[in-house]
Amino acid sequence: MPYLLTSQAFLEQSALLLEAYPETTRITTKYSFPTETPGQLHKRRKSERKPKDTTSTPSSTTQTPAEKIPLACLTLKTFNPGTGITLKYRTNKGAEVSRLMTGLGKLAAGADVASLGVSGAGPTGGAGDIEMGEAPAVDEGVVASSPALQAAGSQTQTTGKAAGGGKGKKKGGKGKR
Amino acid sequence: MAPHLSHDEFFSSLTDLLSKTSQKSRGSVYLTQKPMTDADSSNAQPSILIRATDGNTNAPNPKSADKSGKSSRVTKNKSTKVKMSTIVNPGDLEFFYARYAEVCKTGMAGLKKRDRSKRKGKAKAKGGASKTEA
Repeated sequence: MPYLLTSQAFLEQSALLLEAYPETTRITTKYSFPTETPGQLHKRRKSERKPKDTTSTPSSTTQTPAEKIPLACLTLKTFNPGTGITLKYRTNKGAEVSRLMTGLGKLAAGADVASLGVSGAGPTGGAGDIEMGEAPAVDEGVVASSPALQAAGSQTQTTGKAAGGGKGKKKGGKGKR
Repeated sequence: MAPHLSHDEFFSSLTDLLSKTSQKSRGSVYLTQKPMTDADSSNAQPSILIRATDGNTNAPNPKSADKSGKSSRVTKNKSTKVKMSTIVNPGDLEFFYARYAEVCKTGMAGLKKRDRSKRKGKAKAKGGASKTEA
């Protein structure tokens, strides 16, 4: 179950999976905070309990968690139970949320890859450009962005070619159908 | 199983759930979407079933409950689990998801905020790196 490197790639691959198995494929969005180790938990409990014993001055203690707030994580997962195909995408950027959710909306409406790529770039153009510009700069996104762009370019020609540009695994799933 | 909520009810309880989780900085929220497969699924487009749950992650940790001495053997208490669901007709999808995205964006406050000073910092880091190289 691979983690895809760009949200665009995730949406495209998910669209292909949905296209192949429209009835059974489900998409789960998980918004979660990291679990605490027992030590961290104990520390936090302690700092929470202390002020209660001393009573009064609750205002000062409520601000203590502000010193180190764990960063939440957003994980998107497209899963098909029949074939066991799982596609995942993980991010911790709040700026990506609304774009991802609108993408999921398009997937729910049965959008195919071509319409995702074309219309996906259109309405969110301003924000999307910034996202794409940022992503490669962060880490290994450079590698991922090139096939994604190729796929986007070839979408106008054939969806089959787009699949080839994306992932080999997906292609097998389509062939079966 | 609890009955499906209307969109308004769903959004208000989802907002509640997300903000609670964000405030606590603990736990998870799972949002699932899948097509409804009814007998009349032969129609062009199925309705979408949306589910939201906290996966019972907001339940107290049984280990810590042990330590405090109260309720040593906690059986898995499912009554603390929050879950809700709603059904979206194909016609309402666009409108629903516009609201859905808005609720998620505001509710998921625990994610990284957009960093305006990032570009500056990056430029600096680049300059520093090139200096060290030279």
